[in-house]
Amino acid sequence: MERRDFIATLGAAAAASAVPLRAASAAPASGRITLLHTNDTHSHIEPFGPGNGTLTGRGGVARRATLIKQLRAATGASLLLDAGDTFQGTPYFNLYKGRLDYRLMRMMGYDATTLGNHDFDNGVDMLVAAMESMEAMNHPNAPFAFINCNFDFKGAPHLAKRMRPYMVREFPGVKVGITGVGVAFAGLVSPQNHVGVGWRDPYESLRPVVKHLRETEKVDLVVVLSHLGYQMDGAYDDLRLPAHVPGVDAVIGGHTHTFLDVPTRLPQALGETLVFQVGFGGVNLGRMDFAVTRGEVRASGGTSMPVES
Amino acid sequence: MRSLFIVPLLATLAAAQAPAKVKAGLVQSIPVDGSIPDDPVMAAYLAPYAAKIKASFGQPLVKAPLGLFRGRPGEENLLGYWVADTMRAAAAKAIGMPVAFAFTNSGGLRANLRRGQLKVEDIYEVMPFENEVVIIELTGAEVIQVVREGLLHRGGEPCSGVLVKVSGTPENPILTVTWADGKPIDPTALVHVATTDYLYGGGDSIPTLRKGRNLVRTGLTLRQVMLDRCAALDKAGKELLPPAPGRYQVPPEFREAIREKKLSL
Ligand SMILES: [Zn+2]
Repeated sequence: MERRDFIATLGAAAAASAVPLRAASAAPASGRITLLHTNDTHSHIEPFGPGNGTLTGRGGVARRATLIKQLRAATGASLLLDAGDTFQGTPYFNLYKGRLDYRLMRMMGYDATTLGNHDFDNGVDMLVAAMESMEAMNHPNAPFAFINCNFDFKGAPHLAKRMRPYMVREFPGVKVGITGVGVAFAGLVSPQNHVGVGWRDPYESLRPVVKHLRETEKVDLVVVLSHLGYQMDGAYDDLRLPAHVPGVDAVIGGHTHTFLDVPTRLPQALGETLVFQVGFGGVNLGRMDFAVTRGEVRASGGTSMPVES
Repeated sequence: MRSLFIVPLLATLAAAQAPAKVKAGLVQSIPVDGSIPDDPVMAAYLAPYAAKIKASFGQPLVKAPLGLFRGRPGEENLLGYWVADTMRAAAAKAIGMPVAFAFTNSGGLRANLRRGQLKVEDIYEVMPFENEVVIIELTGAEVIQVVREGLLHRGGEPCSGVLVKVSGTPENPILTVTWADGKPIDPTALVHVATTDYLYGGGDSIPTLRKGRNLVRTGLTLRQVMLDRCAALDKAGKELLPPAPGRYQVPPEFREAIREKKLSL
């Protein structure tokens, strides 16, 4: 058991160097991970001003940074994720064109985001310019990843080389696969703003990616960053996703600015999917903790590791 | 090291196929509020950006003693009416000809205008998008169809130049659209219509706008014409006041039927 775990740990070169050998013999085939997340932050860099009802005085990037630091210090293994629509909503976007938003996300330590419809509001070239600005900054945090598996970027090569369909991150005892899906452009993004980017069925796009993550990458946890919306009139939304795409553990959602206090739990063919979304404008930070128990421990009837707050 | 790699690999295979058991622990939405102090590094990094925003966007614009509001469900969107009126006037000025009708989408108006002294940033919050005012030609019948599509899509979208009434019963509704002065609309007459490049391009599902002929791009963003209008009012010593209600008369039972997608107009 320990040796198998050791091999799994070696799967990612970065993780192997980060995990001391002691962990190889001591670590059980289990681990825990905290997902911290936002959605639809919409350039709300400052807290909401007066006249915004219950949102007045809430949000603000400088506070979010503090909260993230505190939580990450307390929880150990964690990922900081976002479900898109970083752009558009305050003068900060009009003046700084999304560049500042992405730079601040890197400073806060985001690991990955996906693209929402509003991230195309200034067109593909401006989106790429904002990504470049974030990548070019001098900061100890690595640039974060842009993840989507249902857009076809073939006609937009500069954007294509910055996007990936999925990402795998390994922590002691937990291997996490992250993918992302976006809402259809029709009626939401004017054609000249998504030149070269096509949209495909998100469920059909997700299925092979989730299968690859589970069967080839052998991840323990599959996370989808979704900008489909929590509940929509059409065929695609986060509530319907688990029935169409089994094997997803968590959907970090956006687009509908839905305020949920806790995730919606939906049964699916391979277990359960937690669908979460935390409003908009950075007024909340979502948190989902997962405990993962692998292989033999499970077979011998072991219980899953408790997750303390 | 080498033996560690090779020996357990086969033995591992079977166990590895057993999927991991995943259990969710603590799950919560954590408010980001004033109880959390600013991160000092982040605050210092942001300060010059915020100062620049304040300098450009904190400029006083015009007084709006009553405010302009989008209205709760069932109420008229007076802010939308003002935007449509402003758009229509700016379009007429741009082409030097009358513009009979203006149409915009409520979804594009992202905030209300609060009561009191308005600042440049308030207009940015209402209209953050870079949408351009465009002018097209539509027939009278197409104008009515645009109104109908707006009604069915969102319960009535902000417009200028017409009066809209729904009567009869939800099973047999009657849609009446006239010009703002009550005169009937000639279905065959071509008129100038102001809208945004976004809606003309197919945004927000008002398909008939795409039939527009002789497109004129004004080069003015919708936001700019709103800013210009506010500045002009202030310069003339006037206040910004909401337009009168009454453009849409849609009784509650029809609104209900529209929400439930049961109404056919
Ligand atoms: Zn969105």
